[in-house]
Amino acid sequence: MAENAVIDLRGSKINIWRAGKGETVLFLHGLQGRNDHEPGLEELAKSFEVIAPDHPGFGRSESVDGVDDIKDLSLFYLDLLDALKLDRVHVVGQCIGGWLALELAIYAGQKFKSLSLVNSAGIRVKDVPRGDLFVCSEEDMVRMLFAGNGGAEWMKSIRGAGELEDIYERNRAAAAKYSWSPRLCNPKLDRWLHRVNAPVHIVWGEQNRVLPPAYGEALKKLIPGASHATIANCAHLAHIEQPQKFAQEISQFIRRTGT
Amino acid sequence: MKVFTFHLMPYASLDMNFMEKYRAAWVVLPNTYYDPKIGHELYNRYLDELELAAELGFDGISVNEHHQNAYGLMPSPVVTAAALARRTKTAKLAILGNAFGLREHPLNLAEEHSMIDNITGGRLISGMVRGIGAEYFSTGNNPAFSHARFQEAHDLVVQAWTRPGPFSFEGKFYHFEYVNTWPRPYQQPHPPIWAPSTGSTETIEWAAHPSRKYTYLQAYSPTQSVMRFLNYYRECAESMYGYTASSDQIGWSTPVYISDTDQKARDEAKPHIEVLFNRLLRLPFEMLFPPGYLSQKSLANMRSHKRSVSGQEHTIDSLIDQGIIVCGSPDTVRKQFTETHRLLGFQNLLCLMQFGTLPRDLTERNIRLFASEVLPALQGLTDKQYAGMQTKAAE
Repeated sequence: MAENAVIDLRGSKINIWRAGKGETVLFLHGLQGRNDHEPGLEELAKSFEVIAPDHPGFGRSESVDGVDDIKDLSLFYLDLLDALKLDRVHVVGQCIGGWLALELAIYAGQKFKSLSLVNSAGIRVKDVPRGDLFVCSEEDMVRMLFAGNGGAEWMKSIRGAGELEDIYERNRAAAAKYSWSPRLCNPKLDRWLHRVNAPVHIVWGEQNRVLPPAYGEALKKLIPGASHATIANCAHLAHIEQPQKFAQEISQFIRRTGT
Repeated sequence: MKVFTFHLMPYASLDMNFMEKYRAAWVVLPNTYYDPKIGHELYNRYLDELELAAELGFDGISVNEHHQNAYGLMPSPVVTAAALARRTKTAKLAILGNAFGLREHPLNLAEEHSMIDNITGGRLISGMVRGIGAEYFSTGNNPAFSHARFQEAHDLVVQAWTRPGPFSFEGKFYHFEYVNTWPRPYQQPHPPIWAPSTGSTETIEWAAHPSRKYTYLQAYSPTQSVMRFLNYYRECAESMYGYTASSDQIGWSTPVYISDTDQKARDEAKPHIEVLFNRLLRLPFEMLFPPGYLSQKSLANMRSHKRSVSGQEHTIDSLIDQGIIVCGSPDTVRKQFTETHRLLGFQNLLCLMQFGTLPRDLTERNIRLFASEVLPALQGLTDKQYAGMQTKAAE
């Protein structure tokens, strides 16, 4: 049974989605926020207990004063992990969620059993341009986020009147807040990646045009021992476009880590 | 009434087929479309046009800031204002506006404004704006902090102009150990501050606050919106702050074209004004309103209003009918301004006398006809001709 619950964290209301039983997997969402029905997370919840908070300012979580960039957000998550009594967990980070997972692992690596980085932001790759999701039209956004499977339906599912409209705009504003400049990266992140000592698995969509596959390959080089997999017919939103393969990559990796 | 002329300094030689390949004349239009030799000609021609207006008796001339686009070639209006400072003697120089919050160091801009105010002996009007959404793509500034940064830059600059230095400034975005502006502004306590906008209740409430009483300028809007927002300023002063706003605190900015007859004016202005609205000013919603640039409340308001100006194909007839531009014979134009003043009472009017591809000869005739046939009548308008609040503002 999946459920959303709002907790009070030092005065801020934070919405957390939970589903499934088993080892705990913390899912850190990306620029697009998190829908109530994310096929990849539901798939993952068949084997694990999945905990997926909305980052401050996204979805149904309040903005938190002073949490303005990914560094602030990683410190905020240390508070959240304490509040949820999560001591040793597997983390799955998508897009800026992967970047967030890396910042967290640099500060507090002992808290994580493993890191799955799915189409992860965080680093710069010289001469490989990213796609700009902020400037493009909604139609182009769909073309950039999907290799061709279900993009239009996804866009339809997140647009609408009332609360949906509100969440869509809040997600856009929060995405800009955390990742506008420097765009989708911490230029000094590579300097500290040697501190990531949990097992790392990098998963990339073959047709990713927001962060082209060269970003995944560069990340692999920067993190010694990291494994790397590519999903075909898949772009930036692997957990939506290829939910089975997404869940399979992560489950198999977590099993390999032997915990 | 004080009547200003205003220039955008468009890149009028742009290949207007650019829209077949690019979404806008902003952000994504390659600068290979710009020819510096033509640019040299245009800058000097446009400066001549502003100087001519000053000679012919306009109360002021004004310039503004936009980045990385063909719509307006003034990334730094301080440069154009400085070029005009010594070529004019009595006209006000209005920078409408400078986006102080887009700067990493707004203090440098405060110093530059202060220099112009000193050189001109107090003829500077300092407009403060956030910059339009496209600016946030072109400067890398984070639109999610646009409001907060604007406020803080404003506070910093006003303190830099008014507080004896050196003092330290500790903000969220700006940190200075030594704020100590040399030169101090010529005008005391500081140059008049204006707040130009295309219609934002938040900006109006901010500008109308008793500690500021800044002149609010409504730009590029159908008559309906001009009425709604200018009246909102007066209402806001009255009901929110308990004072009666002076008519000097509001202004209207609009493109103007005059020729011998209404029909001739329409025919002559048509291709040039349609280029302005349908090519140079056309901006996709995503560029105009990047994420976080507007509050949730303003976003809802803007979706309806702004689309009417920048999101649809205009013709000269639709522009005239909606009151977005004022165009006709001297008599028609004089009557229209006089009537709008009777209804709204604004004491500041900004006329855009060159727009889009309007060439040198038509621009010059436009300025001369306006100066001789319309300007004197408008300069004589006072609160005596204002009929008082006619309608309740929409909000």
